[in-house]
Amino acid sequence: MDIAFSAELEAFRREVAAFLDTAPTPEIREAGAKTTSVFAPFEQVMAWQKILHAKGWAAPGWPKEYGGTGWSVEQRYIFAEEYWARDLPPLLPNGLGMVGPLLMELGTEEQKAKYLPGILSGEDYWTQGYSEPGAGSDLASLSCSAVADGDDYVINGSKIWTTLAHKANRMFMLVRTSREGKKQQGITFLLLDRVDYPGMEIRPIVGLDGVPEQCEVFFTNVRVPQSGRVGAENDGWTVAKALLKHERGGSAQSPAMYRKLDQLRAAAAATASPNGGTFAADPVFQRDLGELEAEIAAYAAFEKMVLTGHPIGRDPAMPSMNKVMSSELAQRVSVLMTRVAGLNGLPLQLGALEVDSGIAPLGSMHDLVAMPYYLNSRATTIYAGTNEVQRDLIARTLPVG
Amino acid sequence: MDFTFTPEQQMLTDSLSRLLGQHYAFDQRRKIVASPEGRSTRVWNELRDMGLLALPLPESLGGLGGSIVDVVAIGELMGRHIVVEPWLTSAAVAAAVVAATDPARAEALLDGSALAALAHEEGAGTADPATIATRIDAAGRLTGEKALVIAGDAASVFIVSAKGADGAPALYLVDGAAEGLTRQSFTTIDGRRAAHLRFASVAVTPVAGDPAAVLREVLATALIGFSAEAVGAMGALLETTATYASTRKQFGVPIASFQVIAHRLADMKLAYVKARSLLLHTAALAEAGVASARELSLLKAQVGRLGRQLGESAVQIHGGVGMTDELSVGHYLKRILFVDALLGGADYHLQRIGAGV
Repeated sequence: MDIAFSAELEAFRREVAAFLDTAPTPEIREAGAKTTSVFAPFEQVMAWQKILHAKGWAAPGWPKEYGGTGWSVEQRYIFAEEYWARDLPPLLPNGLGMVGPLLMELGTEEQKAKYLPGILSGEDYWTQGYSEPGAGSDLASLSCSAVADGDDYVINGSKIWTTLAHKANRMFMLVRTSREGKKQQGITFLLLDRVDYPGMEIRPIVGLDGVPEQCEVFFTNVRVPQSGRVGAENDGWTVAKALLKHERGGSAQSPAMYRKLDQLRAAAAATASPNGGTFAADPVFQRDLGELEAEIAAYAAFEKMVLTGHPIGRDPAMPSMNKVMSSELAQRVSVLMTRVAGLNGLPLQLGALEVDSGIAPLGSMHDLVAMPYYLNSRATTIYAGTNEVQRDLIARTLPVG
Repeated sequence: MDFTFTPEQQMLTDSLSRLLGQHYAFDQRRKIVASPEGRSTRVWNELRDMGLLALPLPESLGGLGGSIVDVVAIGELMGRHIVVEPWLTSAAVAAAVVAATDPARAEALLDGSALAALAHEEGAGTADPATIATRIDAAGRLTGEKALVIAGDAASVFIVSAKGADGAPALYLVDGAAEGLTRQSFTTIDGRRAAHLRFASVAVTPVAGDPAAVLREVLATALIGFSAEAVGAMGALLETTATYASTRKQFGVPIASFQVIAHRLADMKLAYVKARSLLLHTAALAEAGVASARELSLLKAQVGRLGRQLGESAVQIHGGVGMTDELSVGHYLKRILFVDALLGGADYHLQRIGAGV
């Protein structure tokens, strides 16, 4: 075993810290402090991606040939630690973490040349068109159809939970191209160059937190070129599974959780407990906070096993275990955040939550973000395959007699 | 970063696994536990021949200079077979301290003819050495009581934690035949032989080295080693339970096909993976000499908490047979319970972590 960081790595840490201390604008910092979702405030985070791209640091996990950093596992972990220590908004995952790596693996040379630069630079934001009103956990039952017609497909149907579709300029989606055979066999993976094709309509959906983060997208005889297909027609399920691999895993999430824990500890020290004294001095709260930290520590250790290629990380259940652990931890953090916020979490503060709104929050920053974060985090155990589906998958990897 | 075992450690665990498979199958273990000595001289000699008694001692004391990661690799297998031989406390924890303090005792420990023991727990538990009540009086003699001393029934030498005349906790070497030492022997719930010890003005030798550092090191090794045993027991329970659920039929189908059972099994796997990841991570920190008291608390808390969850689920999924002494399941649970209670249970450590200690 080997865990010690070398002097070169400490120098790297200082280099990262120096850049992150100076590069973000005040608006970008404010967006980071007001991030209450996996998806940071859109305009500011895309602006931040362009700054990181200019430095060459937009995609720590990408191979160098595609514009990635070529950093080692240790360097990426250090970058994540320094990044989160400054409450910077996390770059949106759809392009950099999902469709980008997928194209590297399965896209044509033409598709890579056309799409990867925009994904890396932050010119493009891709929304994900997977779920449908009738196809959630049972995604393979999706029915939004694409019929080949000349060089095009003609799409009819709808997609839902297309995050930030109203801000997107591109979309990747699964469509039904055949109803023969098993339901998984008639699915095709498509890239859409635009989200304003004639016949496309986007309806934002306001979430529990009061924010229109999700959308539904309707397709009526929408004509898109077949050149946007990834993989073969009717082989989209294989493509989707390859993408899933990128969706769950890759970048370190535990540094973000440790940061949230630190903020929670600080808020607990500044807030009176109903039991008298501060939350930080309340043994009941201490016990719960200790359990949260122990769970974060276990997850962080698991994440390091994954990042370093330990056999624990090569378990076929790894993506599902990672999803269950990280999503349930996010919820646990949010529960203690709202406990500390107490009554101060109850005012609805949509205006103050907006970046550059000039509206001062009622109470502290912790009070401002605790409830929206809690409410938004209800989704973590639902999206990307519900945790019930993940537990089914984990159980299937266990030995049978 | 690298958390894998070295090829040498892998070879060692392969051989130990074979040895325990041969001599420590569940039925053989039952016989060992029920024997008058409650230990197997044959297995102990096999461990010696494999070099495991020498492994934890530094080369300067005739050992092989093993590391805490070796203790973890071996400890996991000891837990997997619910071994009752006191390898951890005698060979991995106490022997090096005894040999450094009194080199004449090294040979008998290395050749397997003598056992050493750690006498630390007291009263309601001794998670924090500051609570130790056993004392060295002005005349330099030891008075007090120690509980749950593994191999305390047979050890010929003890290392005992006590507060010195200056009030600071430290370790002292006590001869097993010392005047004023009395033992009350018993078998623990997880099959080990142990004893409560009473010291009435007993002659001691302070252990070699910086007292605070040696005590810290000894307790850290014990905590990590016991945690490894619990994690090994968790792994065995997970496999046994998953296999049982896929073969046991009710309502005409394997019970693993019921989603409530499948999800309980999934949670068991999550618990095991979390506990084992934390164990290996902590071992790497300890090997590099940077495992803090906080990190040890995190490990101990999670092993106790997750181990209990997993063990209780294993009994539940086995149903009625899980309640019987004939099956290994309950014995694994009891090994986990034993480890949880030593050196501070999960709740103690969780509160301490939350308090920022």
